[in-house]
Amino acid sequence: MATTVNIKLSRSNRIYRSSEPVEGKIVIKSPSSISHQGIRLSVNGSVNLQVRGGSAGVIESFYGVIKPITIVKKTIEVTSSGKFASGTTEIPFSVNLKEPGESIVEKFYETFHGTNINIQYLLTADITRGYLYKPLSATVEFIIESGRVDLPERPIPPELVIFYITQDTQRHPLLPEIKTGGFRVTGKIATQCSLQDPLSGELTVEASSVPITSIDIHLIRVESIIVGERIVTETSLIQSTQIADGDVCRNMTLPIYVLLPRLLMCPSVFAGPFSVEFKVCIAISFKSKLAKAQPKSDPTAPRLWWRDYHWNLSGRSEISSAANEQANISGETCFFVCVVHITKKFDLELELYAYKLALTS
Amino acid sequence: MEFEFRRRDYGAKHESQLLHRSRTHKHPLSSTLDSRQPQAKTVGSSDLGFFDPLRGVDVDVSVEEKVEDTSISLEAVTQDLMKEWKSLKRMLMQRFPVSKVISFSPISNIIMKGSKVETSSSLSHLEKTGSEQTSLEETARMINQQEYLAKVHELRDGITSAWQAEDRVTSLKLSIKVTKLLMDTTVLQFYPTVFVIVTDMLDMLGDMVWERIKQKAELDVDGIVISSLLNDFQASDICLEARETCYNWFCKVGSVREILPRIYLELAILPCWRFLTHQPMEVLDRLVMMVRGIADPLASLYCHLYMVHRMQKFGFCNSGYLIKCIKDIKDVLAPVLKDKDGYSYITDDKKLLFSLMEPAIDYIMKCLLRTGRQENNVLGVLEELGFGSNQSSYNSSHVSIVLHHLLKELPSELVSSQAMEILHMIKCSNDYSFSQILNYRLLGNRLCEGTSQASFLSSLINEVIQAASQYQTLYDYLRIMDAYVDLMLQNEMKNHLDALLDDIVTLAHDKFLSEEEQASLQSIILKLLSHFEDLQEVLPLNHFIEILDLMSGTSKTSVNMHLLNMGTRNGCICDSTTVQLLFEVSQALYDATDFVNIKDDDNRQTAHLISRFVEMVDYGAEMERHLMFLAECREAFNGIHELKETLVRSSNTLAVKALKEGKKHINFVKSCLAFSEVTIPSVSTPTKQLNLYLETAEVALLGGLISHSDGLVMSAVECLENVALTNGLKSVDVDSMASAVCKLCSLLVMVPGNPEKGVMEILKSIFSATCSSSWAMPRLKVKIFCAIISLLSTLSQDNLPYHSANPEIIGNDLLFFGDSSYKKELVLCTQLVLRELVDAIEQESSQIARGNMALEASNCISSALVMNENVSQLCSKLLETAKGCLGAKDSYLKSTKK
Repeated sequence: MATTVNIKLSRSNRIYRSSEPVEGKIVIKSPSSISHQGIRLSVNGSVNLQVRGGSAGVIESFYGVIKPITIVKKTIEVTSSGKFASGTTEIPFSVNLKEPGESIVEKFYETFHGTNINIQYLLTADITRGYLYKPLSATVEFIIESGRVDLPERPIPPELVIFYITQDTQRHPLLPEIKTGGFRVTGKIATQCSLQDPLSGELTVEASSVPITSIDIHLIRVESIIVGERIVTETSLIQSTQIADGDVCRNMTLPIYVLLPRLLMCPSVFAGPFSVEFKVCIAISFKSKLAKAQPKSDPTAPRLWWRDYHWNLSGRSEISSAANEQANISGETCFFVCVVHITKKFDLELELYAYKLALTS
Repeated sequence: MEFEFRRRDYGAKHESQLLHRSRTHKHPLSSTLDSRQPQAKTVGSSDLGFFDPLRGVDVDVSVEEKVEDTSISLEAVTQDLMKEWKSLKRMLMQRFPVSKVISFSPISNIIMKGSKVETSSSLSHLEKTGSEQTSLEETARMINQQEYLAKVHELRDGITSAWQAEDRVTSLKLSIKVTKLLMDTTVLQFYPTVFVIVTDMLDMLGDMVWERIKQKAELDVDGIVISSLLNDFQASDICLEARETCYNWFCKVGSVREILPRIYLELAILPCWRFLTHQPMEVLDRLVMMVRGIADPLASLYCHLYMVHRMQKFGFCNSGYLIKCIKDIKDVLAPVLKDKDGYSYITDDKKLLFSLMEPAIDYIMKCLLRTGRQENNVLGVLEELGFGSNQSSYNSSHVSIVLHHLLKELPSELVSSQAMEILHMIKCSNDYSFSQILNYRLLGNRLCEGTSQASFLSSLINEVIQAASQYQTLYDYLRIMDAYVDLMLQNEMKNHLDALLDDIVTLAHDKFLSEEEQASLQSIILKLLSHFEDLQEVLPLNHFIEILDLMSGTSKTSVNMHLLNMGTRNGCICDSTTVQLLFEVSQALYDATDFVNIKDDDNRQTAHLISRFVEMVDYGAEMERHLMFLAECREAFNGIHELKETLVRSSNTLAVKALKEGKKHINFVKSCLAFSEVTIPSVSTPTKQLNLYLETAEVALLGGLISHSDGLVMSAVECLENVALTNGLKSVDVDSMASAVCKLCSLLVMVPGNPEKGVMEILKSIFSATCSSSWAMPRLKVKIFCAIISLLSTLSQDNLPYHSANPEIIGNDLLFFGDSSYKKELVLCTQLVLRELVDAIEQESSQIARGNMALEASNCISSALVMNENVSQLCSKLLETAKGCLGAKDSYLKSTKK
């Protein structure tokens, strides 16, 4: 049996605040006693930006990886040189992410794994054992969630938006029968939402001459990176949620209720070189006689339209391939898009719980 | 051999053997009230604490009890409804069986096919191929129902095994796949079946998730119990990790794109919200609203059904949600009932749709009213559903299928108090989801259950009659009014009843009634009949006879049976018109039944009824007419054997009655006897014939008509002889035959001997008939011979024990007083019989029987004859035989010896 090294964190969910020390123990299992020249523990937090495929141009993809932004990088020595007895040895440790007096270059962004942006915190233990032996090492990822202290300071958009969707609010060509027949869908949706809470709102179909086949809520993530003098944006569909199947009754309030997928989301971030934000798109698909002749567009795979649709409401400059627009956006679907600001949840109870946990472990 | 008969003094014997009589203090049948009362009291008090689920809920009971009821019934209601759910599931599976081959739309095809293929990828694959094929609909594959079910079960097993293998993601994925089956409503009839299978699976999944999270909350990482959860735990009791896991489940379920499976899956893990929030009820608000997003009426309704099931299973039930459900259902149904232009029409598809929806609506209504009752808020529920809002301009038209099931479940007190309101609602709701006629009918039936005041009933029924007469067909009219007949009768609303009967006659004028109409009419008439005590009250009703004439076939028969039954229920039938009517009725019944060829219970009942009717007829003083009537009956109901007996009895009774009235009727008595005599031979069984002959002979004897009685007795003996000839092989009821012969013997005591033909003429012929008969076994022979010996002994007395009631008839004792040749003949006869008797005993094969017979015979002999040498020799011989057969220890033997 070979000698193994593991890092066991004090919390099973591996979530820590930036203000808290990361604690745990290094577990070494060895069949024989070994001597070493010290154990070092390093914390490495960085934002990795990458531009690939998609909307990026040829030149950008040529660049490949953009230089990562370091959030934190420090190394401490847990023990000086010594010897482990055979069997299992556990060495406890505790690392402060930021010292009280320390000035850090970057904020402690929350851990996030996106398409183009990766914010990751790693803890690595290294055991050096002289020249003749291979050094032992183990790495573990821990997750940073921002506490109260790290509130975003950007102006918060209004909490609720009241929307109405008619044939006239649409910027893309519609099928003539929808255009002439007309429809009206109204509702409201929260534009500020904490990560733990569902995105909620209401929607009412007031009128529609053409039968509706489906109403979907699409959750869209927009990652932007400044590359040189340009901004590269990657939009990806995170989750689609159908709220109406078929030609629903008119003037009946339907709830909008979307639980946010935690692994794919983080609080909205607006840092200097990059940003992550989220949008909600309400898509209404109509059943049209004409559309039957065309190959049916499948609402479960809206891959084709969301990238090319010109996001007017976002207020940011976009890279859109306008050439594809007409071909890919179906004339039988209507949209409403708005930005949703994702925040941390201030759950006092949870906060206290985490605090208690930190004290005990 | 010399014999001498023992002397008897019957008078003294009678005196000495009379039982001493004394008065009793108590009548044995009079109830002892004092002792029973406390018992009743204890029953009453124990009754209070006992909740009978079958009693349902009487809203009428006192408030106290009501409170008690609710405190118990939360559990009881839930339990009840769980049972309901089970039966509903069974019913859904059975009621909508599916033709063997079903075509499936591409959606379920993909689900069925793809065990490994991702749904989305196969969809995109279909998209590609879709352009090549002309239309996707045509690709629908044909699949066997069994195959389909097997496939679903396979998937379900996959879910459990994946769960057991700790692979919960896979089992969730499979669950989603199975739930998606419910999105396919292309084959309507199959939907309930799929629903049942899928919801079973979902219930199972829900339980598994609940258990897992509960375990997480109770155990720590190493599986040691930290704390066991109470039944009413709070979300704050749950440790963070369990809550994380729980929330994770909701997230996973929430990430399903399609609304329908998402709702179903959330409903499956609905109770888990308790781990997360203090008010899990709030979730329901949203879920109820979410279901609105399902536009397909059938899918929506069944989704509501599952929601209600899950709600009540976990005690989340609340009339508020249920009312919302029902309102939403109404909205969903609205477009089905009327298309865009407000034009409503019915198609076969829609009919099928509604029939599929019915059980679901029924169940939801049941839940609603039970919950309402448990909350003591049924009235509030009704208000919410639009009761009492009639006056306002709000035009609430109710979907009739919903209304129907509401009405079905309403407590009967409320039905009576809100009857007018309900009637108006029924009037307004005339759509094709449910027949308005049946709704009217249901209202009537429900009203009958409760007690209602006549005050509004009269106007209510007026309106109903109006509404019913708008249906121009008799069938619809009858179907509606059938339900109200009871009400009219109970509340003695004669005018309405008359109006109803008038209407029936007008509507049925000159028409041939179909089978259904017959059945409804039958039901109405039967209600009428069962209401009135006496036929006399029914007949004067307007057009009653006319309506009777409308009927035909089996329903006519049934009505006739009831009429007859009713007519014969209350003693004699004196009224001649009634007799006439019943006679016609009987004749119709007789004509409708084949008495000759078919013998079953129905026929027997009819025969019995007719006989009873004949028996009950009483013309009073017009006896001639009565006899005529009997003759008529004999002609009319020739095929009923049972009746013949009745006829003979009736005519005998008639004769006796005439005799009592005095001598002047002697000719009438003769004609009665003649009638009887003529009728008896057509009675089927010889025993009955024999008995009837004897009976008639008695009557003749009573009337002093010796020649008649002689003739009748001779006929009886002939009949006895004939038994041997005709029924030699058939098993005759020999025992009763023998006892009839004994009876004949005792009758002969009174009958004076005929000197011309020989005194012993009759006796001898009985004797010879017995000897020669093939039916008489030795045992019976012994019995009969003993009877003859006793008779002979009796006849030899100077004073007979009894005489005929008619003083004109002189007994043998006076007739042959002191006549030595008479006595000689008696002795001769005895010798003859004794010989045969001994022979008969020897013939018996069974030892024990032979012994007993020997003893019996020796007893008889010793009591009849004086013990001289001959006799005691014979007796001791018989006793020897008995000893040989029975053994010396037999107690009968011992007592006989003395």
